[in-house]
Amino acid sequence: MRWIAAVVVTAALGLFGSAQAQEAESLFQEAVQATQVADYEAALTKFEAALQADPNNLRYGNEYRLTGVKINQVKTYDRCIAFFKQLVADHPKAPNAWMNLGYAYVDKIPTEGAITQVLLANTALGHFSTALDLEESWLGRYTRGNSYLYWPAIFGRTRWAIADLEKAVALSQETDKRNYQARAYRGLGEAYWRLNDLEKARQIWREALELFPDDKELPVLLGQDDKALNAFLTAHFEPGKRVDTNVSALWEDTASQAWLGQDDKVPPAPAPIQVETGRHVDTTEGEISGKAN
Amino acid sequence: MASGLGMWRAGFGLMACWLALASAAWAAEMPGSERLKFEEIGERAGVRFVHSPRKFSGQHKAQVLEMFTYGGAAVAVGDYNNDGFDDLFVMDSDTGKPHHLMRNNGDMTFTDVAESAGVAGGNDTQSICADALWFDYNNDGRLDLLVARFGTPILYRNDGPGPDINYRFTDVSQAVGLTKFGNTVAAIAFDIDNDGWLDLMLGNYFQPVNLLDLKTPHVLPNNLDYADNGGGVTLWHNVPLANGERGFVEVTEAAGFGRHTGWTLDLGHGDFNNDGWQDVYIAGDYGTDRMFLNKGDGTGTFMEVTETAIGYDTRKGMNVDIGDYDRDGWLDIYVTNITDEYMKECNMLWHNNGDGTFTDLSKETGTCDTGWGWAAKFADFDNDGWEDLFVVNGLRSAGERNYIPALVEMIIKPGVDFSDLNSYPDIEDMSWSGYQKKRLFSNMGDGTFKDVAAEAGVDTALDGRGIGVADFDNDGLLDFYQTNTNQPALLFRGRTENTGNWVELKLIGTKSNRDAIGTRVVLTAGGNSYLSEVNGGNGYASQSTTRLHFGVGSASAVDRVEIRWPSGLVQTLPPEQVAALINKFTYIREGEGLVKR
Repeated sequence: MRWIAAVVVTAALGLFGSAQAQEAESLFQEAVQATQVADYEAALTKFEAALQADPNNLRYGNEYRLTGVKINQVKTYDRCIAFFKQLVADHPKAPNAWMNLGYAYVDKIPTEGAITQVLLANTALGHFSTALDLEESWLGRYTRGNSYLYWPAIFGRTRWAIADLEKAVALSQETDKRNYQARAYRGLGEAYWRLNDLEKARQIWREALELFPDDKELPVLLGQDDKALNAFLTAHFEPGKRVDTNVSALWEDTASQAWLGQDDKVPPAPAPIQVETGRHVDTTEGEISGKAN
Repeated sequence: MASGLGMWRAGFGLMACWLALASAAWAAEMPGSERLKFEEIGERAGVRFVHSPRKFSGQHKAQVLEMFTYGGAAVAVGDYNNDGFDDLFVMDSDTGKPHHLMRNNGDMTFTDVAESAGVAGGNDTQSICADALWFDYNNDGRLDLLVARFGTPILYRNDGPGPDINYRFTDVSQAVGLTKFGNTVAAIAFDIDNDGWLDLMLGNYFQPVNLLDLKTPHVLPNNLDYADNGGGVTLWHNVPLANGERGFVEVTEAAGFGRHTGWTLDLGHGDFNNDGWQDVYIAGDYGTDRMFLNKGDGTGTFMEVTETAIGYDTRKGMNVDIGDYDRDGWLDIYVTNITDEYMKECNMLWHNNGDGTFTDLSKETGTCDTGWGWAAKFADFDNDGWEDLFVVNGLRSAGERNYIPALVEMIIKPGVDFSDLNSYPDIEDMSWSGYQKKRLFSNMGDGTFKDVAAEAGVDTALDGRGIGVADFDNDGLLDFYQTNTNQPALLFRGRTENTGNWVELKLIGTKSNRDAIGTRVVLTAGGNSYLSEVNGGNGYASQSTTRLHFGVGSASAVDRVEIRWPSGLVQTLPPEQVAALINKFTYIREGEGLVKR
């Protein structure tokens, strides 16, 4: 993982060049190292310090939350939620902090009872909406639209899912093509499946497959008959099931910044660097942190 | 010397017997096949009663109260007149509505004798009847009747036949000390200290507030996953009274149940750890189920083992039934929860690991999804030697509009007080988890079940509540009575062909309680062992027969019967008695063996 550290350091320097950013990145790297040696308590504390120094950093928040998921204890989920709540209180204009707060609620869902799950999911939606109010983004639209998909059709959220996912698709079409963008197409098709319009769902997935021929999941969706598909997606969207909130594909996929808000500046690509391990890392492979501002 | 005709008859009889056994052998090779068949005969049998839930007309948020008390359609099976045929007690719930004591005429027809027996009442303006239980509290050989209510319970003592041969019952609630108010929905009787007298456990839904005269709207669950403001349970120890009669004193706290304050929906008892003492499982709505092990020291005290045995859950536990579905010699537990489009709780089939822990195998066994589940009963309906499972479901089948979206909007409202009646929208003519098909899970004998309800003719879509299983016509095939709230009840007669052989035992305690509740029988036949215990009312809104019914498949003879009575006596029947058991209904008295009725 050292190459990641090197890339992130370089990127952070390129982006911010500030002492605060350096401090944040340093804390983040210490947290990552603590995670690698399973010193989770230290890791959480370091992640929190990094986020306090750089509250809108999506990646810091992502790794922090995923460490909580790895620990998988109710008190840790509560700690993450409490931390992000305070973070957005201190930095209400940081959309990625709101996104991470929403994800933190989603992360806790599998540990709770059916009714509390509804409350957590609904609260998460509220925070995703706040993030979108602050800044239009592919990630915000995709996340909120995908979240609506987990609500059974009876609750009438599917139309809202379609609106968000169509917007996410539109946003992705305004940028360079990236593999992760296929997710919005998949979700859009799944929304039509929720509405029992399998023809429309398959049409969207077929179009997506033309755009993303290397996508692994689209052929799975398209390769099933109606009955198998219903079973597959019913199981996929089972309430209470852990939803993967890891958004690292955004910076691990390619150098794309399409997930960033429309007003964000795409940072200049730092020069390739040689990391300690001797592995050559191209910045189109290892991505910068999720800093949006 | 037998005449030629006699010889022929004997030969024919032997051939018929052989054919029957051969047929059974064929059947037994196909455990859990789709041959289960039932015929609905409620109308013809005279037991087609339409239950009416309590109306709260004129009261604040009447519809919400009605919604939270939308039950009471209970059934209790018991042979109150000792004629060798199980009878039915069928309950109603609306104001002034009578119950029905249905005397079994022995020909699959029933006669309502509730009025003459004096047990039709109980639904007064201050009480709602919710469950019923037959048990012989005074060991006089006659089943007494407990009517559990949102109110004070009623215990009817069975005084036997009067001059007109009709049985009479006397309300002895006051005399026996059962005067405590509770919002009771479940009742079981078992002997907590093995002293030979049946004790009583009541499961209470709401706290003891009079819903028919409410002083506050804050009476509903304070949390929909972790509610702790319910009625819990009360435990009543059977004690001698000064006048020589029997009575009850409350021992809830002393026995270790005082800390349970959940919304109890059902209770079940059985010897979970094979130590000879009865243990308890409590199904809780809006929160965790609980398990208590009997300390086994004769004090009638229990220790809670929820955390280590089953863990804490947040589900909506509705039913407890207990049986050894996999024939491993340990009692397993089946609990229904809510599984629907909007909530995927899944039922729990607690497989007893034999080490004090249980593993939920409902998904693996195929018994996870029964919709909004209510009563469920283990029973070997085709006598193949494996316990099948019938489950009723459905909350409220009404108009096309669905209550769930309205309910969820309430749930996600910031700062909502779930305990406040005023928080809930009126349900009007909306449905809520209604029109659900019943499930009959045929035990495949390989650790899985298959739903054959449609093929068997029992997949009705009524709002089921209780199930009373018994062999009402003593033909060796189990039948069952299904109650439905606000809808007609059904009687399903077993019509399965090519079934296995069977044994049916009615146990009579002498030193142990007369009903032999808690008695365990291990029957061996054809190289297989079958375990069953007599229970006192397991199952939501239900009491099934206290006879033990064993399907033994193709086995043409019973090899061994071991009976462990609550008194501690372990009785092994002598070979000549064992030989007489196959395909018969037999009485066995503690310490004696086979006896006539």
